[in-house]
Amino acid sequence: MSTHRKLSRRTVLRGLGTAVALPWLEAMAPAAALAGSASKAAPPLRMAFLYVPNGVHLPDWTPATEGAGFALPPTLQPLAPFQDQLLVLSGLSQDAGFAHGDGAGDHARALASFLTGAHPRKTDGANIKAGISVDQLAAQQVGRTTRLPSLELGCDRGAQSGNCDSGYSCAYSSNISWSSASTPVAKEINPRLVFDRLFSNGVPGEQGVSRARRERYRASILDFVTEDARQLRHRLGRTDGRKVDEYLSSIREIERRIQTASLDNQPDAPDYPTPEGIPPDFQSHARLLADLMVLAFQGDLTRVSTFMLANEGSNRSYKEIGVPDGHHNLSHHGGDPEKHRKLAQINTFHIEQLAYLLSKLQAVREGDGTLLDNLMLVYGSGIGDGNRHNHNDLPVLLIGSGGGTIQSGRHIQYAKNTPMNNLFLSMLDRMGAGVDSLGDSRGRLWGLEG
Amino acid sequence: MRQSRFTAWLSPALLVAIVVPCALGADEVAKPGTFEAKVAPVLNKYCISCHGGKKPKAGVNLATFTDEAAVLKDLKTWEKVLENVELGLMPPEDKPQPTEVEVETLTAWVESTLTSANCRGPADPGRVTLRRLNRNEYNNTIRDLVGIDFHPADDFPSDDVGYGFDNIGDVLSLPPLLMERYLAAAEQIVQRAIIADERLDPLTRRRELERFGKNPREQAAGQPYKGFARGLASNGEIVLEFQPSREGNYQVRVRAFGQQAGPDPARLTVRVDGKDIETVDVTATEDAPGTYDVLIPLTPGRRKIALAFVNDYYKPDDSDPKLRGDRNLYLDWVEFRGPIADLKSLPEPHRRIVFLQPSSKKSEWRGNARIILERFASRAYRRPATPEELDRLLTLFDMALKDGERFERGIQLAVEAVLVSPHFLFRVEYDDDEAAHPLNDYELAARLSYFLWSSMPDEELFTLAAEHKLQNNDVLDAQVRRMLNDPKASALVENFAGQWLQIRNLKTLNPDPGQFPNFDEALRSAMIRETELFFQAILTEDRSLLDFLDADFTFLNERLAKHYGIKGVRGEEFRRVPLTDPRRGGILTQASILTITSNPTRTSPVKRGKWILEQVLGAPPPPPPPDVPELLEGKDARLSGSLRQRMEQHRVDPGCASCHVRMDPLGFGFENFDPIGAWREQDEGLPIDPSGVLPSGQTFQGPAELKAILKTKDAEFARCLAEKMLTYALGRGLEYPDKCAVDRITATLSSDQYRLTRLVREIVKSDPFRKRKGKGDES
Repeated sequence: MSTHRKLSRRTVLRGLGTAVALPWLEAMAPAAALAGSASKAAPPLRMAFLYVPNGVHLPDWTPATEGAGFALPPTLQPLAPFQDQLLVLSGLSQDAGFAHGDGAGDHARALASFLTGAHPRKTDGANIKAGISVDQLAAQQVGRTTRLPSLELGCDRGAQSGNCDSGYSCAYSSNISWSSASTPVAKEINPRLVFDRLFSNGVPGEQGVSRARRERYRASILDFVTEDARQLRHRLGRTDGRKVDEYLSSIREIERRIQTASLDNQPDAPDYPTPEGIPPDFQSHARLLADLMVLAFQGDLTRVSTFMLANEGSNRSYKEIGVPDGHHNLSHHGGDPEKHRKLAQINTFHIEQLAYLLSKLQAVREGDGTLLDNLMLVYGSGIGDGNRHNHNDLPVLLIGSGGGTIQSGRHIQYAKNTPMNNLFLSMLDRMGAGVDSLGDSRGRLWGLEG
Repeated sequence: MRQSRFTAWLSPALLVAIVVPCALGADEVAKPGTFEAKVAPVLNKYCISCHGGKKPKAGVNLATFTDEAAVLKDLKTWEKVLENVELGLMPPEDKPQPTEVEVETLTAWVESTLTSANCRGPADPGRVTLRRLNRNEYNNTIRDLVGIDFHPADDFPSDDVGYGFDNIGDVLSLPPLLMERYLAAAEQIVQRAIIADERLDPLTRRRELERFGKNPREQAAGQPYKGFARGLASNGEIVLEFQPSREGNYQVRVRAFGQQAGPDPARLTVRVDGKDIETVDVTATEDAPGTYDVLIPLTPGRRKIALAFVNDYYKPDDSDPKLRGDRNLYLDWVEFRGPIADLKSLPEPHRRIVFLQPSSKKSEWRGNARIILERFASRAYRRPATPEELDRLLTLFDMALKDGERFERGIQLAVEAVLVSPHFLFRVEYDDDEAAHPLNDYELAARLSYFLWSSMPDEELFTLAAEHKLQNNDVLDAQVRRMLNDPKASALVENFAGQWLQIRNLKTLNPDPGQFPNFDEALRSAMIRETELFFQAILTEDRSLLDFLDADFTFLNERLAKHYGIKGVRGEEFRRVPLTDPRRGGILTQASILTITSNPTRTSPVKRGKWILEQVLGAPPPPPPPDVPELLEGKDARLSGSLRQRMEQHRVDPGCASCHVRMDPLGFGFENFDPIGAWREQDEGLPIDPSGVLPSGQTFQGPAELKAILKTKDAEFARCLAEKMLTYALGRGLEYPDKCAVDRITATLSSDQYRLTRLVREIVKSDPFRKRKGKGDES
C-alpha cells in the first residue's frame, strides 16, 4: 500500500479553514488512480454528453469557414468566451438512427442511437434493445473508483402515458444512456435527489460504532436479497430471468459503491445550498442540474455524465423567450422563415445553458488549468434537420481540451456519413477505456489533435 | 415487431372498409377456396420466384403451400410472411411491388386464417414478463402493507411506458439508481413504521409526598406524617402536576396504608383533571404498607393527577366497639410510569407489523419474531412465506440481537430486507410448469388487486386464495364487484383511464399564455377531475361504455362550468351537471381531451382525429412518411385561408391524403372547440366550418352529429377499449393468440349493453388473465 494517505474533503476543508469550492488536489486522488501512474498524478479526465432534441436550425449553427479562427454563427454566439475550447464537428452521422426498413419513429431512433451507434429494435415494449452507450462503456471502465460510476441527468420526466413515437416504447425517447443493449439507464430530474446521491453521508451525526453497524446491516440485507434473487432465478423462464439478472447487477453495483465509499472518505456537503426540488422554470432547472454536474466532477464523485436538456420529440413551449409554440411542432418548419427564426431562438436558448455550464466548469481551478481543460464534453442532437428527420449531418460540438490531447478552437468538416461513433472511440482512448469498436464505428476520428 | 402484427388485426374490418374498399370483404376472407382463388395468385406473382423452386431464399418455400390445410400446418411461417409484408420488408425494394389491394388481400386472409387457427382448441394464454411494482403500485402497496401513506416512490425515477401504459413488465427496468431508492425507501419505511428506540421504554418518576414545592397548580391536603408520608385525616385530595410527553397509558403506583376503622377499608380515588378514573381499597396498615396500581390514559400536556381520600370515617364514641374508630389514609410516595408499551398505545403501523409483544423471557423472542415475520413476509410477498425464507430472515433478527439491539430493531432489519427482496418488488409468477397452466390462487389474487386497485390483495382476497375459492367464476364476479366499490378502485380511474385517455399528459402541457391567459393550475386540475369523475360514474353506475362517446351529464365546478359557458354552478367542489346542449357531452368534448390533442398555440385537427382513431376506434393511422412539407402558419399563411383551408390544400398530395382523409374530418368536427376546449365560432378572424365527410361517405355538421356517427361504431369502440384494458390488466402488449380472448370479451359485451363493469368482469375471467404459458413454450 502507498504510504500516501488520502485526505478526506473534511480534512482539507478544515485545513484550509474555509468552505469554498475546492480545487482538485493531488492528494485526494483515490489510491487506485495513483497506482501505476507517475508520482505526480494528473487531474482525472472526465466526459460529459449534453443532448437537445428535434435537431437544430443548421444555417444558424454551422460556421462558414473551416479550421481555426472561424466566425461564430448566430446560434453559437453565447459560446464566444469559450471559443478556444470549442470544436464544431460537422458532417458526423448516426446512421443507425435511419429507418432501415422500420418505417417511422425517427425521434425514438435519434436518441436511442445517439450514444450507442446501434439501431434500436422497433417494439413498444417486449424485448427493447439498442446497444451499450459510450458513456456507460467508459463508466464501466473508469467508474470503479468514484462514488458514482456515472451521473445521468435530465429536465424531463419519462412520458406519463401514450405512445412516444410510432411504435417505439417511450424508453427509447427518454433514455440516452444504456448500460447494456437491453437496459436503458434512468436519469434523475430532481436536483434535490441528485444532491443527496452525491453528498449524502448517511445519518447526520452518526459516528463510529453505530455507523459501522449500520453498514454491516446493510451488507447483510444485500446478502439476503441476493440469495432470494438467486433462488428465484432458478424457478423462472428466460425472459423473467433477465429481469432478475438486472436486479442482481444493480445490487452488485450498490455493493461496489459501499466498498468504494470507505468510512473516512465520505464527501462533505459542499458550500452549496441543498436544492429544494424541481424549479418551475426550465432555465433554473437546467442550471441547477448543471451546477450539480460541476460539483460532481469537481469532487471527483464521478467522471462520466449525461444530461438531456429535453426528451427527444419534446414539444415544450419556450414562452419565457417569447416562443409559445411547441418545440417539436416548430421543428417541422416546412421552410417557413418564421419558424426558422423561432427554432434558432430555442437553439440559442439551449446554447446559453451550455455556456452557463462551461462558465462554471472554467471557474474550477485544477492543477495549472481549469476543469474545462480536463474534460471532453459532447453537445448535440441525434437529428440534423427536424423537418427532414435526418440522422446525418448532425449538429455536434466537442468542448474541452481533453487533458491537452485535443486542439480545440476549430471547425472541422468531415466527409458525409462519417460515423459519430468514430468520435466516441477517440474519446474512449483518451479516457483510458479504449475499445476496438463500438456500434457502427469504422475507426478513430481524425483531426482532433489538430 | 409484435406490435405491428397486433395493430394490424386491430381493425381489419375498418381498414378494409375505409382504406381499400376492393380487397377481400370480411365474409369472403373466411370462405373456403379463397386461398386458391385470391391469395395464391398474389404469391405466384411476387413471392415464388425467390421463395420457391429448389433453393428457396432463406429456406422459406411458399410454393409448397397449395391450400389452406397446408397453411394451417405451418402457422409460424405464415406469421413471418405477414410480418414481412406488412412492414414492407418483402418483396424487396428492387423487385416488383404488389398493389395496395393485393397486399391487403394477402394480409387479410393470413390474418383471419391465423386467428381462427389460434382460437381453435386451448388458446395460448401468453406470459407476462416479470413485473416490478411501478411507482403508483409501490406507493399503494406500502400504504396497504404498512399503513403509512407517505408516497416514498415519488422520489423514484419515472417508469417507462410501453403499449401506452406504465405497468408493462418488459419496459419496467431496474437500474442501480432505482435500487438505491428502494434501499433508502425501505430504511425510511421501517424507521417510520416500527418503533425500536427509547420511545418504547416507559419513563418512571417517583414523587415523595411529605414535602411539596411551590407549584401553584399543585395542592397538598393533609399533613406530613412521621417524616416519610402524608396523612389525610378527612376527605380531600392531593393534586400533583404531571407532564407526559407522549400519549398512552400510564401506571400510577401509590405506596399507601390506612388507619383502618369502620366496616370498609380506606379508599383512594385517582382522578385525572378532575375526573375519577378508579377507586382502590387500601387495605394495608402502617406495619406493612402496600402498593396500589391504577392505569390512566394520558395525552401530552400539563395534567392534574389527584389522589383523593374519599371515605373518611370518624366515630370515636360509637357504642359498638367494632364500629368505633377513626379512619385515615396515609400516602408515602407515588410513581408515574409510562407510557406503558402495550400494543394499544403504539402507533398503528407499528401494531400492524409487530402485532404481538415480545415475551418477557428473552429465550422466546426468536419464536415471537418468527410469528411476526411470517405474517409480514406473507403479506409482502403476496403468498405464504416459506419456512426456509423465514429461517433466513431470522438470521437478520439474530444479528441485531447479538449486537445487543432491541427486539424491535431485529424486526426492523428483517422487514427492511423483505421490502427490498425481489419477491416484494416483483410480482412473481412461477414457471414451474412446462405447459400452459392456470395461475395459482395467490397469483390470481395479486393480478386482481393490481388490476383494480394498483395495490396488494386485502385480507379477504388472501383468505379466499388460502381456501382455494378464488378460481370459482361466481366468487371472482363477486370479488370484482366488491373491489370496484372499494375506494381503492380510484386507482383504476387514475392509472387506467389516465393513460388510456392520456389525460396524464395534461399535467405537463402549457398552452400559450399569450392567447390563453385564463389557463391556470385551477383550470388544469378541474379538466382532469371532470374526466376522472366521468369515468368513475360510468364504472360505478354500471353504465354502457358508449356513454363515453356521448352523454347528457358531466361533472363540473364553477371554474370549469364558466369555461364551458354553463351557468348556475357555484363553488369549487365538483357536482353532477345535466347537459342540455348536445354539442357538449362525452369525453370527446371534454376540455381535458381537447387540450391534450392541441398544440400550444392552435388546435390540431390532425391530432384530434388521430386520437380518436387510436384511442376510440382502435385503428391507428400509419405514421407519416419522412420529409413531408408542413402547414404554412403565421401571418402570411393566414392570407391563404383558415387553418382548415390550408390543411385541405396541404392534403392534395395523394401520399398524404390516404391517411389524412381518415384523420382530418374527425378533427374538423371539433374545430368549434379551441385549444383549451372552450367554445368558439371563429378562429383567426375566420368563421369555423365544422362539417365533414368521412371516408365511408357519411357526412356531418358539427360535433353533435359527428358524435352520433361515432356512437354507431359500437363494435370498434368496444374492441378498442377491451384491448387497451386487457393490455393494462395483463401488463404486456397483446399478441396474436390474445385476439381469441378479445373476440370473446367483445361478443359478451355487446350482449350485455356494453356495460363497462361487464368488460372488467370478462377480462378477469379470460384465459390470458387467469392462465400463463408454460416454461416449455418460451420462444
